[in-house]
Amino acid sequence: MQATKFQVKLYARAGAIELEKLVPVFHEWIRNKKISDELLIDVADYAHVPQGPGVVLIGHQSDYYLDVADDRPGLLYSRKRGFDGDFQAGIDDAFQRALEACELLEAESSLDLEFATDEVLFRVQDRLNAPNGDATYAEYKPALEQASAAFFGAAPSLERLGTEREPFAVRIHTGASGSVADALAKH
Amino acid sequence: MTSWKEQLGDRIPEQLAGEVDLFEGQIELKKQGKLDDKIFAETRLRRGVYGQRYDNGLRDDGTGQKTLAFPCGDLTKGPDTVWDAPGMMRIKIPFGKLTAEQLDVLSELAEENSDSILHVTTRQDIQLHFIHIEEAPDMMRRLASVGITTREACGNSVRNVTACEYAGVCTTQAFDVTPYANAITQFLLGHPDVQDFGRKFKIAFSGCEDNPCGLVTFHDLGAVAHVRDGKRGFRVVVGGGLGAVPVQAKVLAEFCPEEELLPLAQAVSRVFARLGEKQSRARARIKFLVQKVGIDEFKKLVAEEREGLRPDERWTAFLDDLHATDEKPVRDPGAIPGDAPAGFRAWAEHNLKPQAQEGYYSAIVKLPLGDFTATQGRALADLARKYTGDSIRCTVEQNLTFRWLSGADAVAFYDGLIALQMAAAGAGTITDMTSCPGTDTCKLGISASRGLTGELRKRLTLVEDELDPAVRALRMKASGCFNSCGQHHAADIGFTGVSRQVGGRKVPHFNIVLGGQWTENAKSYGLVVGAVPSKNIPKAVDLITEHYLANREGDESFQAFIARVGKREFRKVLAPIQKPPPYEEDPSYYSDWGNPREYTIGDIGIGECAGEIVPFVEFGLQQAEQQLHDAQDALEAGQSEAAALGAFTAMVTAAKALVRHLEVQVKDDADDVVANFKTHLHDTTLFHDPFAKGKFAAYLLKVHAEQSYENANDEIAHRMLDEAQLFLEAAHACYERLTQAAAAAAE
Repeated sequence: MQATKFQVKLYARAGAIELEKLVPVFHEWIRNKKISDELLIDVADYAHVPQGPGVVLIGHQSDYYLDVADDRPGLLYSRKRGFDGDFQAGIDDAFQRALEACELLEAESSLDLEFATDEVLFRVQDRLNAPNGDATYAEYKPALEQASAAFFGAAPSLERLGTEREPFAVRIHTGASGSVADALAKH
Repeated sequence: MTSWKEQLGDRIPEQLAGEVDLFEGQIELKKQGKLDDKIFAETRLRRGVYGQRYDNGLRDDGTGQKTLAFPCGDLTKGPDTVWDAPGMMRIKIPFGKLTAEQLDVLSELAEENSDSILHVTTRQDIQLHFIHIEEAPDMMRRLASVGITTREACGNSVRNVTACEYAGVCTTQAFDVTPYANAITQFLLGHPDVQDFGRKFKIAFSGCEDNPCGLVTFHDLGAVAHVRDGKRGFRVVVGGGLGAVPVQAKVLAEFCPEEELLPLAQAVSRVFARLGEKQSRARARIKFLVQKVGIDEFKKLVAEEREGLRPDERWTAFLDDLHATDEKPVRDPGAIPGDAPAGFRAWAEHNLKPQAQEGYYSAIVKLPLGDFTATQGRALADLARKYTGDSIRCTVEQNLTFRWLSGADAVAFYDGLIALQMAAAGAGTITDMTSCPGTDTCKLGISASRGLTGELRKRLTLVEDELDPAVRALRMKASGCFNSCGQHHAADIGFTGVSRQVGGRKVPHFNIVLGGQWTENAKSYGLVVGAVPSKNIPKAVDLITEHYLANREGDESFQAFIARVGKREFRKVLAPIQKPPPYEEDPSYYSDWGNPREYTIGDIGIGECAGEIVPFVEFGLQQAEQQLHDAQDALEAGQSEAAALGAFTAMVTAAKALVRHLEVQVKDDADDVVANFKTHLHDTTLFHDPFAKGKFAAYLLKVHAEQSYENANDEIAHRMLDEAQLFLEAAHACYERLTQAAAAAAE
């Protein structure tokens, strides 16, 4: 069975993140259906947890985190429900949604946020279908390279992260230096 | 591999595997429309799969109630519970004990099925939120593979059995209660005699009378370890509970020999199943049965039941090896290095407790709001493997305790926590607040208890080092509603969420409860001082603690101070901050902590003069509040009968205000008020609480019918004051509903 619980994180450029400011922004996204093709449900505030998920926009299909894990704030897109499409399309879609959420956040004047495109964290939260090992890496590497190239252009370099106890994770050095808008325009 | 079932294979105990398969089958039947909603709801609850806020498919986004259009359409997982709506999984951790392997698996599930957060509850469970019901069976399989079951974590069953987190290593215990807590857990899990309860049943163990770790007095069944003439046994109490009306448990047996503990619990269960209330949920806990028949009659019933029990070898089999649950340290004992850094010493002051075993300590990891991440969970499991072994315990104060830490490793362990940013000092102090989920995720939450707790924690942590030791030692607890999951009744300063109608808008408030006793297994509960707008609670904490420090005599403790000056004085202290400013002046009061949505439900219109006209009903409700306060003063002054009469009068006044609001002619005498209240508000269900139904109205009707305020003793007066407080809350809520309905009709 193919895994679909993909996560994509783009890191915020240097600068302090005031997590409490995310709470009203995400509530407003729910109210105004800012992500029009997703059912957005609620906001979970974990700003009190060090190196935690930060503030989470809970959806039915996906969650959107302003995540502060490893003390590196960033937008983490997390797909929860099945994706209706092939493997490559599923990965591309996760990249696309993460970038679109970044673009929405960058447009929020109350936040003063900007995201870098030179580095992407990709994870699969499915130890059954994507255990953190060489076989999974071999399976995912071409698709991740293709997705990275499609959005960011340059030839990426990939680095598998963590141990088998942790979810399968890959750090992608995209080689890009452009903006989120550039990445979305390219794709 | 195609499934967890296949992958885990025989690592799942056969019985648990069968139970999970059955539940998975029931999920399929429900999806096919072949299972009744109520039956399925109770089934999933008994499997630990709980509802969560907005699971009826409706959510107020701050501008009005909106439908959450889940893709499942009309499919439900219980009455008014949408199939696709996120839910919560409550995972039973008997007496809070976790192994490193279990913590690993829990962390995996938090990442894959939840939002990467593990939440420790006030009953030593772990909860995961925002899960989908169809993922629950595989989660259960993975838990079962490491010896965890969610069976009977919710529903009308025996909930998680709790016990002191220091059991076995404590310096004040009579003996280690762990094997007994384990035996009763295993014995009652799925036992036929506990399958027909009208409500949940909570059991707690304590190793001693004095310390609060077990909190047995507010449990349905509590056991405190004692040794009499060299023989082990328990003082067993029954019928305690918090909830809407807190009740201290009564003594069922002054000394129950260890071999009689399980049969006694079985006999109590059978009596509860046979005679406990089944129709009215609100009166179905065992505390109501004990109250109804009286403790002496209850003892007789239990004794008769015990006589008729068929002997069961499990009653005593565990006694053959009481060391089966012993933990094995992984390091040799040792002393804490004399040159330990200052940061460590500050942490150790409250977070490190010497064990009975020389050279070993229990280390408390203070969790913010009971939360930790999956990544932290894995790292904590590694710390356990390296330093303490499988000796982790979830605590009722929503922390984690690591036992068997050698003094020689204490600094290294602390350094490990620093790396995880989990070395917060001050465990068990004012910055270590506990809180139920409140409006964050609970369906019943009225106010944002977690939001409030987070705010207080943030503010107090900044000034922690400057706090007077007497203030720093205080315990604060918050519940989002009267169900009291935050255990606020047993705190020095407790908070319980309520709402108030001000100028046509709702304002989140918290009732402040002062003087609860945490020690001696939570020996006494606090009384409500008054409601304060949620946004003024930090000021209220400042005012209360400043007043205490300024006026205490010598080293007088907070509880002694409260007892001496009385709650009336604190009401004066709080009076200046009890009224919120008008919306136009400061709208921030009209939303709750951590939630920018306006605290209103529905589309309540504001008339042009609404902010200036105070209707009769609001005067009446205010008058009732005052009468209740006076009644509380009377109780403090030792005038039980006057207090009980005052509580009744306050209910009558509030009832009269509501009856008149319906434009019904009513006389001043109580009989006429109660008769009209029954006809126009009770029988019409207008006064009914959405969840508690007619429970609060019944308080007035019952007191009126029985005239129980006559010759009331202290206990009865105390109970009537609690009931009157809830009646008044229900009156406020009723008024809000009537206002909304009128506004909707006008449109």
